[in-house]
Amino acid sequence: MTTILLVDDERLVLRSLEKTLLRAGFDVLTGSDCTSGLDTFAQNSDKIDLAIFDLNMPGFDNVPMDAAGLELLKKVLEQKPGLLCIVLTAYDELGKAREAVSLGAKAYFVKGREQGLVELIQKIISQG
Amino acid sequence: MENKIEQTGNEQRLNTLLSAAARVSRDIASILDLSVLLNRTVDAICDEFGFYYAGIFLVDDSGENAVLRSGRGDAGRAMLEEEHHLLIGGNSMVGNVIQKRAGHIAMDVDAEELHFKNPHLPRTHSEMALPLIAGDDLIGALTVQSEQEAAFTEGDMSALQTMADQLAVAIQNARLHQQNKELLRQAERRAKLLKAANTVGKEVTSILSLDDLLPKMVNTIVATYNFYYAGAFLVDSSGEWAVLRAGYGAAGAAMLAEGHKLEVQGNSMIGDCIRSNQARIASKVDSERIHFKNPHLPSTRAEMALPLAFDGKVLGAVTVQSADERAFSQDDITTLQTMADHLAVAIQNAYSLEALKQAHAELIRTKVYEALTVATTEAIHWIGNKALPITVTIDRLEQEIAEDQLDLASLREDLDLISESASLIVAVKEQLIGQAREQKPSPVMIADVLRAAALDRGIQSSRINLDIASETAYVIADSTQLARALGNLLCNAVEAGANNLDVRVFPGINKGETIIEIADDGEGMSPEVLQKIWSPFYTTRGLSHSGLGMPAALHVITQLQGQISIESQIGNGTTVHIVLPSAEQPTLILPANLGLIQLIDDDDPWATVFAQAVGDGLIRSQTPDPAASLILIDEHLECVNLDDVLAQITEANLGPKTVLVTAALHVDRLTRHLALVRDVVTKPYTTEEIKKLLK
Repeated sequence: MTTILLVDDERLVLRSLEKTLLRAGFDVLTGSDCTSGLDTFAQNSDKIDLAIFDLNMPGFDNVPMDAAGLELLKKVLEQKPGLLCIVLTAYDELGKAREAVSLGAKAYFVKGREQGLVELIQKIISQG
Repeated sequence: MENKIEQTGNEQRLNTLLSAAARVSRDIASILDLSVLLNRTVDAICDEFGFYYAGIFLVDDSGENAVLRSGRGDAGRAMLEEEHHLLIGGNSMVGNVIQKRAGHIAMDVDAEELHFKNPHLPRTHSEMALPLIAGDDLIGALTVQSEQEAAFTEGDMSALQTMADQLAVAIQNARLHQQNKELLRQAERRAKLLKAANTVGKEVTSILSLDDLLPKMVNTIVATYNFYYAGAFLVDSSGEWAVLRAGYGAAGAAMLAEGHKLEVQGNSMIGDCIRSNQARIASKVDSERIHFKNPHLPSTRAEMALPLAFDGKVLGAVTVQSADERAFSQDDITTLQTMADHLAVAIQNAYSLEALKQAHAELIRTKVYEALTVATTEAIHWIGNKALPITVTIDRLEQEIAEDQLDLASLREDLDLISESASLIVAVKEQLIGQAREQKPSPVMIADVLRAAALDRGIQSSRINLDIASETAYVIADSTQLARALGNLLCNAVEAGANNLDVRVFPGINKGETIIEIADDGEGMSPEVLQKIWSPFYTTRGLSHSGLGMPAALHVITQLQGQISIESQIGNGTTVHIVLPSAEQPTLILPANLGLIQLIDDDDPWATVFAQAVGDGLIRSQTPDPAASLILIDEHLECVNLDDVLAQITEANLGPKTVLVTAALHVDRLTRHLALVRDVVTKPYTTEEIKKLLK
């Protein structure tokens, strides 16, 4: 079974997406910020097939920073190069999308278009 | 015998001449007007001595000519009109006498080698010319002419020379007097001009609008110097044109209406003055090569163009025009250039101010754009995050319903997710509505409003260390709105982990201002967070915060004619400064015989003031007293539970004589309480408000 790491600081977002992914048949691990997300990843890196990170979260050590999700993305990919990653954001911003992809993300997904998230995950996994 | 008789006759004639000379000398000695002096002299000589003609020549400035300045009768007038003059040392008795500084008699002019044959004096047969010498100064000559041959004797000459000497002194006196008058006139004019330059110098420092400054300048020039016209040109942004920005009188108005401008490289004094950064002066414009013939200024005969230069850069030029030729004195030029220099500084100041305004406007535009961008971005983020759980959950539920896979526990959780997200969105409404609520500023007690603000946010009043200077106990504000703003600030401090909340209230630097300083020892904020703190929807506290607290506080304080600012550092806490208009402490004097009034309240500052105002008729207890004709309950209570008190009121049927007073009126709570008491009102802080309440 495919295991997905989902990290978002918005509790309701985290839980509702978790339930959607669970229902779609994925195993889901969650983190509520960069630090807990990285910890969860570190403990389960072997079985995690795909990671979804919110772009705007408090940074490591809970310090507010711009686009902290990209920092988490970098650290995770340092530990597991080639991991399938999706960056989740409320902003439809090309610059950040480009940055995320250049850092190694497979997709940049804008909140509000959730209907396509499961299909996107399946597509990314099938493409390997 | 005949010789003796002849001798006696000569002595008499000499005596007569000497007496006449003395009279003339006496008459003219006190005349200080040169023209009057000379005319009176020639008349007196002819009248007293019975000569045919007398005339006075004065040496001109070149020292080469003797110019007739006064002549007897019609002949004299005719020669004056002809500007009659004789070359010193030339072929005339006058010219010769002046050169030799010695008198001369021509007994028969026809036989005289040096005599000038004057067509206006055809009957002259003998002539005497005497030099006019005062001290060492050769002033001119006196000519006396007779119709008779040999009319003059050596004795006549010495008698008339005495008079001529007196005349020379009188002429010198008159000239000195004239020079003194001229010097005085010049000194007075110089003083007037310097005063005008000084006035303009002072005014230009205070007038920063060129549309006000330049017309005032040209009007002052014309009024002070009595010139025909003055105008001010400024070089346009292209540097190619000098554009008229102010012009005197109707001519100036007409030229301004036409948009009059002169090419800087063109054929005009203004253009030349601007190009060269040099004053240009045309004493006679008709002979000026580059003078611009202006149809609006037909009477101009002399023109001056002065550069308006600042720090080597020519900003424009001032034109000054006169209807008289050679109208400009050195004083005029000096003082006008001083004025122009002052004006140039003022123009530069006005330009700098304009540039500053434009830069400021640009900065404001940039800041507004940045603020809107931040607000929009934050709003998108906020709304996206609040809406996502709703849409995601609904999508999933639809699938589960379609596939008939509903799980009750999961469904409950889903409904909670939807409900919580929706309630967060709805909560934003309250912040937005709160800002839009009408404000009714009046004196409010800061300590009481602060207390209500804290209790509304679940913060015990004992957590706040309050230090209020007595003279700043009241500010002009709407208590509900101020409580909302203060509540937001206190809430932020508590959420930032503050253990101490220090509130200090003290007079501001400006009279009539009170400063409320709220300092906490919380975690503090980074400069990046501080920069975004006023943006709507920006929050560092996650899901349950709308990010509208600080913008709402800013909005409220600004509406109350106040200011708010924040200082913060990570690890060093946060200090908020609020400036509000001060209010005088109301003098609470209430009428006697109000009946028994019960106040259910904590021992807080407002209760103390109210108790002093009501006096003996006040009951202070925490249980409703049926004996009271009016029961007042402060909504913000710590000593007892409000709901318990209201239950007792209801149970004892005391609701009709109970009024709930509150520093922060919230409509939802108001609706809940209104069913239990007679009324819920904003807390009264002034005598009038308390009187109104007690009625």
